[in-house]
Amino acid sequence: MNLGNEPPSLDWHTTTDSTSFDVISNIMNGLTQMDGEMKIVPALASSWEIEEDGKRYVFHLREDIFWSDGKPVTAMDFVFAWRRLQDPDTGASYATFLYDIQNAYEINTGRIKDLSALGVEALDQKTFAVRLKQPAAYFLSLTSTCPTFPLREDVLVEHGSKWTDPRFIVTNGPYRLHKWQHEYKIELHSNPDYFEGEPRVKVVKMFMVPEQSTAFALFENDELDYVDNRSFSTSDVERYLKSPRYRNLPLLRSSYIAFNVTKKPFDKKLVRRAFAMAVDRSVFPRILRREETPLYGWIPPGLLGYSESTGLRFEPKKAQALLARAGYPGGKGLPKVELLYPNREDARLVVEAIQDQLKKNLGVRVELVNQEWKVYLARRKKDPPPLFRGAWGADFPDPESFMNIFTAGSGNNHTRWSSTRYDALLDKARAEQDESVRASVYQSANRLLCEDEVPIIPLYLATQNILTKPWVEGISFNALDIQILKNAVIKDPAGKDGAI
Amino acid sequence: MFAMIIKRVLSAIPVLLIIATLTFCLVRVVPGGPFDEDKNLPPEIIKNLEAKYNLDKPIAEQYLLYLGRLVRGDLGVSYKYVDRTVTDILGDAFPVSLQLGLAGLTIAIIVGVPLGTLAATRRGTFIDVLAMFISTAGISVPVFVIGALLIYVFGIWLRLLPVGLWESPAHMILPAVTLAFGPTAYLARLTRASVLEVLEKDWVRTARSKGLSAYATVSRHVLRNALVPVVTVLGPLTAILVTGSFVVEFVYAIPGMGRFFITAVMNRDYDLIMGTTLLFAVLLIFTNTLVDIIYHFLDPRIRVED
Repeated sequence: MNLGNEPPSLDWHTTTDSTSFDVISNIMNGLTQMDGEMKIVPALASSWEIEEDGKRYVFHLREDIFWSDGKPVTAMDFVFAWRRLQDPDTGASYATFLYDIQNAYEINTGRIKDLSALGVEALDQKTFAVRLKQPAAYFLSLTSTCPTFPLREDVLVEHGSKWTDPRFIVTNGPYRLHKWQHEYKIELHSNPDYFEGEPRVKVVKMFMVPEQSTAFALFENDELDYVDNRSFSTSDVERYLKSPRYRNLPLLRSSYIAFNVTKKPFDKKLVRRAFAMAVDRSVFPRILRREETPLYGWIPPGLLGYSESTGLRFEPKKAQALLARAGYPGGKGLPKVELLYPNREDARLVVEAIQDQLKKNLGVRVELVNQEWKVYLARRKKDPPPLFRGAWGADFPDPESFMNIFTAGSGNNHTRWSSTRYDALLDKARAEQDESVRASVYQSANRLLCEDEVPIIPLYLATQNILTKPWVEGISFNALDIQILKNAVIKDPAGKDGAI
Repeated sequence: MFAMIIKRVLSAIPVLLIIATLTFCLVRVVPGGPFDEDKNLPPEIIKNLEAKYNLDKPIAEQYLLYLGRLVRGDLGVSYKYVDRTVTDILGDAFPVSLQLGLAGLTIAIIVGVPLGTLAATRRGTFIDVLAMFISTAGISVPVFVIGALLIYVFGIWLRLLPVGLWESPAHMILPAVTLAFGPTAYLARLTRASVLEVLEKDWVRTARSKGLSAYATVSRHVLRNALVPVVTVLGPLTAILVTGSFVVEFVYAIPGMGRFFITAVMNRDYDLIMGTTLLFAVLLIFTNTLVDIIYHFLDPRIRVED
């Protein structure tokens, strides 16, 4: 397979990118895991209880789980790992994942120095208890993610920052890290002691081929057994659309256009709504050509609280009327509007289409401003322009992962928009244990965000495009864009030496 | 000669210091920092990360800390590849680029110099026109086009050579040829111009009139003099080739260091930018010193300052 790039790190506490997670997810397991429908099912924990109205979780670990050096996985490994995640010295970007745990925020920000004050406890070798400061309905989802995986203290103490080296790392997943040639290849070997049984594919070679056309040439020469977006250009996708070996899977990764609501003319709600109704989202799959799903609300299909009817539809007449009501009939009087986007091909195609539509449907002149990635990020953070393009990928399969970015205190909310009502709805949804009530609260928040206040225009949901060789089966791809290889099968092992 | 080398080494120190200082300042002037990501990190996390890498300290203190580490041979750590030091990264990647670069350089010299000499000695003939057409194409066609073309012809169509990766000597052939294309063309043009200039000299006419064959005149006398400008460019050319090519490594999926000249800047990976820049500077100084020594043997009139 092709990873595309070097994983920045295999330390599951400090890394944050999907390339690293693709490797880590195949060599490690957490308390829980996601099944094909993104439901949380047991992994290292065989069962759990949720107590005290959602403020205490007690996990019971399996008896047959072992690290790759033969030692059993214990509750103490989780206690050490979660304390390390919150330790400010670790510098873990995803320490925020566990901020709901008692004292986590205080420890991570240095207000409490004693790591043992974190609300985690090993009740015995195989029982791990967690105390939250407030109920968090999505907490179980978090226990399936890489930053919450356990870690062995003795390994870290002995090898320091080199602990992820294949010579030292200990793991508990279906595969073991055998070799890591930086910027080139990672080789995994199957774990004969894996609690779900040894994977049938014994060797996995993960190459790091950054250039799509080279990766696809390697695939066509049978040197790669499957390819995804990282190795699959748009023109190649079109060639294989009809192939039975081609699959397309929506990802929990959305693109949007955001308004800086403090800048004229977007301080007016009517203008924002007019813009949202003037953008025809159905053009994006035609432009980007990867079967993207047009998006109107901010909660994507498949997640709790999704409603097909939420969001403003493409209605140019109504959009013009709204703009006229805002004092800009036919776009007259509107200043030239700047739309910032990063220098990526897909972003350029999208903003050019939007520029064209806004001109045609509202008579608005939009000036496109392209900036290098980090310059774009810095500008968006310090002085967001009136319009800018953004994208968001879920960290865990829960509406919270999407909705919380537009709360008042979120560092990812560059719109400068805030609403106490929206924040209160999200607080309520977080604490709610009843799924149907929680879904309806998220629906209300979604309508507030995408129909009433409109600080953003959701555009489309990205997709993963996959092409496999006829002899490969059983690789699972989930909507978080993580690829699980443990159930993969090579149908013709004689020809392919049982490796991917 | 020995004194010259000592002098060069000593004069390299202030040069490297200036390069390090300028690079250190410039990378921090560019907007965007190492921890700016699409998913914005909370200020508390940024604070932890900055403290971890001493980026919370005043710039002057950061600079002194960096120099202190540099003197001890510590090039720092990568902010992107968090478990690895810059020395680890360059230690893994440089040998690969060095191998590929030397292969490319060898091809460029053994093809470019004879091609240029042939063109000069057959000036105005079909051979000259053909050689100059090839070298103009080599200079003007972008490397990624040459790479894609070679992959298509030899990798996909004829299936003679691997289309990418770095597994065996056979995997080196297409990338080395791709890398050599531009330098070959450049050396051919330079050699042609230089040989033509030397051929006009009186002593060449004298040698020919004394009955020395054209081949012997060119190989024994003309080339020796004509190679001085060629050797001059070989210094920086070697430094450029052995530190890797972003495009060639990208196209053929080769784990060399060329990519870091671009990606380290894109990631604002400060210490890695410093490391790649300083390594390049050291190699440039080294190869230029080597060139000065070779001058001495090619043309004794060019005396190195003792």
